[in-house]
Amino acid sequence: MPRSETRIPSGTSSRLTDMIRATTKAVEANRDTINALNVFPVPDGDTGTNMLLTLRSIVEALPTNSSESANSVSKSIARSALLGARGNSGLILAQYFKGLAQAIGDDTELTGEHFARSIRIASDSAYNALPNPVEGTMLTVYRECADVAEQAAVRNEELVSVLEAVAKEAIDSVRRTPDLLPVLAEAEVVDSGGFGFAVMLDGALRALRGEEPVGRIVVVPMPDGKNFTGSVKADFVDASEEIEWGYCTVFAIQAESLDIEIIRNHMAEIGRSPIVDGNAAEGIAKVHVHMEDPGSALSAGISYGELSNIEIANMDEQASDWASARRGSGSEIEATPATPVEIAVVAVAAGDGLNDLIISTGMGVTSVLEGGDTMNPSVADLLAAVEAAPSDQVILLPNNKNVLPAALEVPGLSSKDVRVIPTRSVQTGIAALLEFSTTLNLDDNESAMTTVVSDVGDGRVCKASRDVTVYGHDIKKGMAFATFDDKIVAVGREPLFVLTKMIEEHASQAEIITIYTGESLSQEQVDTTTESLSTKFENIEIEVVYGGQPHYEYLIAVE
Amino acid sequence: MSIAVVTDSTSDLPVEIAKQHGITIVPLNVHIEDETFLDGVTISADEMYRRLPDQKVIPTTSAPSVGSFIEVYEKLGESHDEIISIHISSKLSLTHNSAVQAAADLNAKGAKVEVVDTEQASMALGWIAVQAAEKIASGGSLDEVVTLAKSASTRASFIGMVNTLEYLVRGGRIGKAQGFVGSLLRIRPILTLTEGVAHPAGRARNRTKGIARLKEMVAEASPLDKLAILYTTDKNDAEEIADAVAEYSQNGRPVVAQLGPVVGNYLGPGTLGLGLIRSE
Repeated sequence: MPRSETRIPSGTSSRLTDMIRATTKAVEANRDTINALNVFPVPDGDTGTNMLLTLRSIVEALPTNSSESANSVSKSIARSALLGARGNSGLILAQYFKGLAQAIGDDTELTGEHFARSIRIASDSAYNALPNPVEGTMLTVYRECADVAEQAAVRNEELVSVLEAVAKEAIDSVRRTPDLLPVLAEAEVVDSGGFGFAVMLDGALRALRGEEPVGRIVVVPMPDGKNFTGSVKADFVDASEEIEWGYCTVFAIQAESLDIEIIRNHMAEIGRSPIVDGNAAEGIAKVHVHMEDPGSALSAGISYGELSNIEIANMDEQASDWASARRGSGSEIEATPATPVEIAVVAVAAGDGLNDLIISTGMGVTSVLEGGDTMNPSVADLLAAVEAAPSDQVILLPNNKNVLPAALEVPGLSSKDVRVIPTRSVQTGIAALLEFSTTLNLDDNESAMTTVVSDVGDGRVCKASRDVTVYGHDIKKGMAFATFDDKIVAVGREPLFVLTKMIEEHASQAEIITIYTGESLSQEQVDTTTESLSTKFENIEIEVVYGGQPHYEYLIAVE
Repeated sequence: MSIAVVTDSTSDLPVEIAKQHGITIVPLNVHIEDETFLDGVTISADEMYRRLPDQKVIPTTSAPSVGSFIEVYEKLGESHDEIISIHISSKLSLTHNSAVQAAADLNAKGAKVEVVDTEQASMALGWIAVQAAEKIASGGSLDEVVTLAKSASTRASFIGMVNTLEYLVRGGRIGKAQGFVGSLLRIRPILTLTEGVAHPAGRARNRTKGIARLKEMVAEASPLDKLAILYTTDKNDAEEIADAVAEYSQNGRPVVAQLGPVVGNYLGPGTLGLGLIRSE
């Protein structure tokens, strides 16, 4: 299709509606980028989504008949923007469409002069809708764009030339936001809502010029002379999870008559980040407020009229999801330490299955240092792992008799408060880990975890890789043997046979036996083990799990 | 002067105890596919647990409406001067919220209804309501009863050992016990409510050890004003625990009570638990 045919004709409302569709497409294409920048007022990563949903609610309400005048279309846009506004950014966005409707007034066509006036109105009414306007946000971008738009309209009143100047200024204005709002500089990002607005203008301009695609990816502007990476800094992500954000509550009030100012003051009194705007004459108000109890915002709202378009979002959940998502993306963030915790646990283990078992049982505070029988970690390795752990209080599980002496050196060398639990095997280490509680202090955890170590018997089954003498027994190469609490208890050809013999003779009174299977066993062998043992020892709860450890066919914990 | 005590069905208060103390119970709603039931009224606990494991659509629950509280308060207002309405943690249910709105509505018309958020659930909540009723019986004023209910809330504990965290997770009530989720080992998580949300209280390697742990927890919490042993499906285990810890119970053997459909929806079949109030 030749470019001239996609050019937006002037005169009727189709120019306006096509521009709105284009801004929606542009936000759609850049939604994730906008979300990723969102740190203010709440780092919940939903600015792009809220702007997009607000725009979509406008698009859905657009007239299908393109011969309608810009005037009547813009009025319906302003109304649907206000009713459909989602979140903080959505409400500020609604100001822009309100500005557009007012600027066009009774005219039938959108001109550069209208556009300039619409941004000025948007800016004024956005500053007015917030009891405490903050610079370095969408508000600043609106205001600075309004200044540039007015100057541009004086020079040349063509819509396209005004829009060009404004789109450029929007990017520059966004670039300056971290200078104005310290939290942005701290997180090393530019303002998300402001950037979203710049994206919209980019889409509108491309549609006006007939460029395809209208929804292209817009590069996030970075402040001059600063080394921002384009995503939120890791420290900031960690810190943000600590804060209680409460609920973001948004709703519309409709009544015969409304006093916007009174509602605004009421919301400012009972909640945080309130934005209240509306049209008193049409009897609509849109309320956005953050508070611990969304019910009280709704109760307050209902005293003014009928409520609709109610949206309640748990920002603590959002902030936490946002933090996990931020942590999961980007190599820079992955390299930084995990979220600080009250007490951290460092466990030594070898084998992918054991690693997974320890992490999954570690209450989110446990890290694994690779090591075991044939590769005992050094004191330096242990110390490094303890120092890297995300707390000043660390519990160290050496999980091996031969690692224990090195582990006992760590508390004297570390600046942290380190407690070594004398776990002589990974089996006892996992039993100790199950006693760990995030609600106990370091002393109580140490005592509970140490106590259980002596309650767990541990056994192992392996094959002799050469002729060996173990604990006074001569064992031929290739034979399987079982040890239990450091004594040879069974020797035989088959690992399963010696395991069974070990249980019969030393653990028949046990309540629970956990068997960790080694890397050398096939799934079939594992299945056979499970079936055979559960038939043979009906009175014992036997759990067979994949440990993936080298050397040992089976590691056994007996409780 | 007479004061009425109202609580909600998440108190799991046995009917005879509620009757004995003149406590009115407002039921929450249980939604299973297209059907809506009144907690413990039109659906029994046994029926709930029979259906629970097979549901393709997860049952949900909802708070009593503001209207249902207004109705109850108005009815009680005919025979009482004042009402204390004692409820489940507002962080777990909107029940407290409904009660507060209903109370505001009636108080505006000159009634005297006080609503207490206990940050508790099940028999921890149930016992708070019972203590409030006892205080009223011994001549306490509404202010005194409210103070007592708040103090009892801080001394109350609801502890549950679940077979699986699945029900708590799918019902969105896992709270601070999130760290229990995902263990590759079979464990029996023990949870408690702290500041109104679920917190981890321990993990047992199997049911037998978990039951032993529950008994220890009774001893650790003693001396006790009130003690109930709770179950969803395994009454015999609860009876056995009750016998074993009888010495810690003030008035003879502890009460054995079944967790109702709403609470049970989040804990699941096989749950055993404790609802207690420590002595002052």
